[in-house]
Amino acid sequence: MGKSEFRIANAYPYNRSGPLRWIIAHARRYPLFLPGMLVAAIVNNLCYGYTQVLIGKAFDLITGAGWGAAALGSIALSILAVALTQGVTALARNYSVEFLAQRIERDARDELYLSLLGKSQTFHNRQRVGDIMARATNDVHTLNLMFSPGLMLIVDSSMGILMPLLLISRIHMELLLVPCIFLVMLGLTVWDYTRRLAPVTIALRDQFGTLNAGLAEAISGIEVVKANVREHYEWDKFTRNTRRYRDLFVEQGEIQARYWPLLAFAIAWGAGFLHALLIWRNGSITLGQVVAFMGLLGTFHFATYISIFSFNLVQMGIAGARRILELINTETELDENVAGVAQPMRGEVTFENVTFGYNGAPVLKNISFTVRPGETVAIVGQTGSGKTTLTRLINRTFDVQSGRVLVDGIDVRDWNLDALRSQISTIEQDVFLFSRSVAENIAFGCADATPEEIERAARDAQAHDFIMAFKDGYATQVGERGVTLSGGQRQRIAIARAFLTRPRILILDDSTSAIDSATEDQIQRAIRRISRQQTTFLITHRVSQIRWADRILVLRRGELVAQGAHEELLQRSPDYRRIFARYTRERAPQAAELDETGDIGCASTTPLPTTPG
Amino acid sequence: MGFVLDGLDTEAYDRQYSDRELLRRILTYFRPHTWQLILVVLGIVLSSAASSFGTILVARVVDLAAQEPTVLRLMLLSGAVVLLGVAGWFFNYIQQHFSVCVVGDVVLRLRQDVFAATIGHDMSFFDEFASGKIVSRVTSDTESFSDVITLVARLLGQIVMVVILLVWLLAINLWLTLLLVAMAPLAVFIALRFRHIARRVTQNARRVTASINAQIEESISGIHVAKAFRQESALYTTFADNNRLAYRVGLQRGLVLNTIFPVMEITSGFGIALLVYTGGLVVQVGGISPGEWYLFMMAAGYFWWPMLSIASFWSQFQDGLSAAERVFALIDAAPKVHQIASEPVEHLQGKIEFRNLCFKYTDQETVLCDFSLTIWPKETVALVGHTGAGKSSIARLIARFYEFQEGQILVDGRDIRRLDLQQYRRHIGLVPQEPFLFSGTVRENIRYALPDASDEQVLQAARQIGYGDWLDDLPNGLDTDVGERGANLSMGQRQLVALARVLLKNPAIFILDEATASVDPFTEAQIQAGLETIMRDSTAIVIAHRLSTIRHADRIIVLEQGRIIEEGTHEALLARGGHYADLYNTYFRHQSLEYIESIGVIG
Repeated sequence: MGKSEFRIANAYPYNRSGPLRWIIAHARRYPLFLPGMLVAAIVNNLCYGYTQVLIGKAFDLITGAGWGAAALGSIALSILAVALTQGVTALARNYSVEFLAQRIERDARDELYLSLLGKSQTFHNRQRVGDIMARATNDVHTLNLMFSPGLMLIVDSSMGILMPLLLISRIHMELLLVPCIFLVMLGLTVWDYTRRLAPVTIALRDQFGTLNAGLAEAISGIEVVKANVREHYEWDKFTRNTRRYRDLFVEQGEIQARYWPLLAFAIAWGAGFLHALLIWRNGSITLGQVVAFMGLLGTFHFATYISIFSFNLVQMGIAGARRILELINTETELDENVAGVAQPMRGEVTFENVTFGYNGAPVLKNISFTVRPGETVAIVGQTGSGKTTLTRLINRTFDVQSGRVLVDGIDVRDWNLDALRSQISTIEQDVFLFSRSVAENIAFGCADATPEEIERAARDAQAHDFIMAFKDGYATQVGERGVTLSGGQRQRIAIARAFLTRPRILILDDSTSAIDSATEDQIQRAIRRISRQQTTFLITHRVSQIRWADRILVLRRGELVAQGAHEELLQRSPDYRRIFARYTRERAPQAAELDETGDIGCASTTPLPTTPG
Repeated sequence: MGFVLDGLDTEAYDRQYSDRELLRRILTYFRPHTWQLILVVLGIVLSSAASSFGTILVARVVDLAAQEPTVLRLMLLSGAVVLLGVAGWFFNYIQQHFSVCVVGDVVLRLRQDVFAATIGHDMSFFDEFASGKIVSRVTSDTESFSDVITLVARLLGQIVMVVILLVWLLAINLWLTLLLVAMAPLAVFIALRFRHIARRVTQNARRVTASINAQIEESISGIHVAKAFRQESALYTTFADNNRLAYRVGLQRGLVLNTIFPVMEITSGFGIALLVYTGGLVVQVGGISPGEWYLFMMAAGYFWWPMLSIASFWSQFQDGLSAAERVFALIDAAPKVHQIASEPVEHLQGKIEFRNLCFKYTDQETVLCDFSLTIWPKETVALVGHTGAGKSSIARLIARFYEFQEGQILVDGRDIRRLDLQQYRRHIGLVPQEPFLFSGTVRENIRYALPDASDEQVLQAARQIGYGDWLDDLPNGLDTDVGERGANLSMGQRQLVALARVLLKNPAIFILDEATASVDPFTEAQIQAGLETIMRDSTAIVIAHRLSTIRHADRIIVLEQGRIIEEGTHEALLARGGHYADLYNTYFRHQSLEYIESIGVIG
C-alpha cells in the first residue's frame, strides 16, 4: 500500500499490479457469479441446439410411415420444455453477470474515490478535475460494460459455437468438417476486418472532435469573426473539416460493407448442406439429422455478428481499468513525516536560495528573503512570474529543488506535515464552497464551533450583513440547489473560516473581478483585520493592498527583482514605478517623468540583498 | 439484436413542420442522388430475395431427397444455395456501399447549409441560442438524421424478406401461415410493454448517475478545502450512501433490460412447439410436404426478430425526424439585420450619429427609445451606467450587429443600412469584454484582422503596445501557441493580443467593452498604453470599467434606462454631484489614489 492521507478501516485489498489482475481481483471478490454464468451459458446453448435436434427428430417422425399424433405431441412438448429451460438459464446467465458488473462498477468507484481522498494536495494540484471526472465516470462505467454485456457475449457466443459443435459431433463425426473450416475462416476474416477498420474508426472519431472544436470556436468567437469580416474564411475551414469527415465516414462504411465473415458463412451454409446430404446419401444419417445439422449450423450466424462488438467492450474495459489504476497507483512524493517537528508556530518564514521548476522549466530562480512573524508581505509580478508557486513551497504543496524554505528556522521538510499545514491557511483566487449551509461552510473543519463563534468570525470577515440578508440567514444553502454567491462574498466566507481556525501563516491568493467600491471597502477591512493577527502573504492585483503591505516582493520571470517598502521601491524599482505611474501621474508631475525614464525594463535592476531575519 | 433497446431516451419534441413539409425538405437533399438511391433499393430487394430463395431452396432440396437424387444433382443444388448466399452478400454490399456514399454526401451538404445559415445570422441569433446547442445541431443532429436512412434501409430489407416468404408460404398453406402470422402481434406487444418499463428505469438510472457524478465532481474540486480542514470522512459517508443508491438503481435497470430476451426466447419456443405439432398434423393429412413443414420452421425464425425491430422503429424514426426538424429550423430562421442597399465604403472619418433611435432585443424590453447622440471623428466617448442601461447596445448597434426598430444611425452622414456591411466592418475595430483568441499562434491571432498583413506589419502592431515588452514575456514571442481559446495566455495577455489585432487594422471606429476581470498591475499598465495609442487615431466608443479610461475620455455619456442623463468631462461631471458622482462612488472610487491612500486608516 502506498502513502495515503485518508483510509477507512475495512477496505477490501485488491491486487493493483496490473489492469487485468486488478479486474480479476474485483471479480474474485464475488466468486460465484462467473462460474454461475458459465454453467448457465452452457445449458442455455445446449438447449438452443437441442431444439434443432428435436426439430430434426420431428422431421424424421413425420416423414416416416404410420406415426401417431401422440409421438409428435411429445416432441412438441419436449421443445416447449427445452425452450423453458433455455429461457430460465438465459435469465440466470444474464442476471449473474449483471449483478457482478454492477458490483464491480460500485466497488471500483468506491475504491477510486477513497484513493482520491487519500491523495496529497500535490497530486490534486497536478490533475485536472475534468480528467479525474472522466475516469471516475466513463472509465468506471466501461468496467460495467466490459462484463455486461461484453464478457457475457463472448462467453455466450463461445458456448454458442462449442455446444452446437458438440451436438453435431453426436450426429456424425464427419459433419464437423465444414463447421471447423468455417471457424478458421471466421477467425481470419474477423482479424483482418478489425485490423482494417480500427485506424479508420479512430481517425473518424478524432475528426469528429476536430470538427466540433473548430465549430465551437467559430461560434464562440462569432463577434470577432463578424467584426473582422472573416465569415468566408471560417466557412472554408468548416467545409474542409466536414469534407474530411465525410471521406472517412465513407471509407469506414466501405470496410463495413465488405464484411467477409458473412460471405464465409454464406459459403459454409451451402457447403455444409452438400456435405450433410452426401453423408445422408451414404445412409449414415437420416434426413431429419440433415435438418438438425442445418439448424445447428445456422446458430453460427449469430456468432459472426456479435464478436467484434464484444471484444471491443472488453478492450475498452481494460483500457478504462488501466486509466483508473494510473490514478490509484500514483504515488505522492511527499510523506506525512509523522516523526517531524510538531509545535506551535511563530510565523517566521525564510527562503534561502530557493530554486524550483515544473518538468524542467524553471519557475523560481535563486530566491532569498525573510519574513518576520506578523509581517504582511505583498507579492507582485506579472501572471506567470511565479507568485503562487512561491507560496506553495511554504506549506509543502511542492518541495524545493535546491535551497531551503524555513519556518521558524526549521526546514519545512523537517516539520510534521499535519502540524505544518494545519497552521498555514490559504485563501485561493476562486474560493470553493460545498453544497451545504453558510454556517457549515464557515465552520468547515471546526465541527464543534458554536453558532456564536461562527457569527463572530463572520462579523470580523464583514460577511455577517450579507448573510443575514438571505432569507434563511446562516442556514442558507450554498451552491447548485441554493444561492449563488458572488466572488466577493465567497472570499469573505473563506476569510471567516480563517478567523475561526486562526492559522499562524495566512496566504491570500486573490484576484477577483472588478467589484463595486462598497464591497471593496468591506474586503479591504476584512483582510486588514485578519492580516494583523499573523504572518500574511498577499498575492494581489489590488494596488491598494500593495500600497499598504509592510513589505513588497517584486517578481519577474521567477526572479526576485526588488523588495522593500512602498516608498523604497518607488525610488528603486522601475517595474514597480510603472505600476504606480498611472496613479501618481494626475497628481504629481515628477512621477510621470520617472515613468519615462523608468522604461528600461527589469534587466538593469539589481536584486536587493536579503534582509537579515 | 440490441435494437429492441434503442431509442429509449427519446424526448418529446414540439413539431413545427408538417410531416409533408418535412418530408419534402428531406427529399430535396436526396434528389441529386436519385440513381444511387435506386441502386440502394435494388440492392435491398435483391439481397432479401436471394436470402429468401436460399431458404426456400434448402427446403425444396429436402423434399427432392425423397426422389433419390444423383450426387451431381445434389452438388448442383447445393451450389445454387451457395450462389444465392453469395448473391445475397454481394447485393447487400452494393446497398451498403451506395447508401454510405449518399448519407455521407447528404450530411456534408446539410452541414454546409446549416453552417452557412448560422454564420450569416446577426448577433440576436447567438444571444438566443447557446453555442453548445448550435454546435450540436450542426454536427450531432445532422448525424442522427442520417441514422434514419440506415434505419429505413434495414427495416425495408426485413419487410421485403418477410413479404416474399409470406407470399410463398401462403401459396403452400393458408392456415399454417395464419398461425405463423398470429405470433407477430404477440412479439410486438411484449416488446412494447417492455420498452415502457425499460424507459422508466433508464431515466431513473440516468438521474441517479448524474447526481453521484455531481457529488464526485464537487469533492474533487473542493478537495483542498476538505484536506485543509480534514473532512475526508464526512465526504466519504455522503459518497458511500450515493454510491449504494446508484448501485441499486443501476442494478434494477440492468436486470430489467436483461429480462427481455429470455422472455422472448421462451415465447418463441412456445410458437415453434405449436408449429411443429400443428404442421406435423397437416403433413399427416397430406396438406403440405415435409420440406414445406421444414420451411415453416425456418421462416418462424426469420419472422420473430423483424417484429421486435418494428417495435423500436417508431421512436427511433421520430428521433431522426426531430433532429432533421431542428436542423431545418436553424436553416430557416430569418436574419433580422436588413441592409436596404450595399453602397461601397472606401474610407471613413468616423462620425457617428444616432437620430431618434428606438431599439429592443425582444418585444418585451425596450432598450433605447428616441435616442439621439452625435460622436465626432477621433473623439473618445466613454459610456457609463448600471447594468442594463444600454451601454453595450449602443456599441453593438454601431457595429451593426443588431437591427433597430425606428430612427436612424448615420455614419459620416450616410445611413448605416445603406452601406455594404462587409466593407463597413473593415473600418471597425472591436474588443469584446472577454477578448477572444482562436487556437493558433499569437501572430495568426493578430493577423486575423487583416489576413494580407505582412510579418513586419504584425510585428509593428505588436510593438505599438508598451514598446513590445509584452512579447518578451511570451515563451516564443509572436510564435507562441495560444492554446484553446487562448488558455496558454493570461487574461491580460489576451487583451494585449486583441488590442494588437485592432492596431493592425487601424480602424476608423474603435469599440471597446472593457474587461471587468482584474489584471496584474504590470500588464494593466501595458494595456493602458495600447489603448491610448488606438484612441488617438480613431473614434472610440468605450464601455468603461476602468478609472483611467474615463479620465482620458473626451466626453463621458451617463446612461440610465436607455436615456442620456448627463454628459461632459470627468471633472465637470464629478463637480456637478449628480448621477455620475453616484456611479463614480459605486464603481470607480476604489481604483483612485485617494482611496488607496485612505485604506490605510480603515479597519
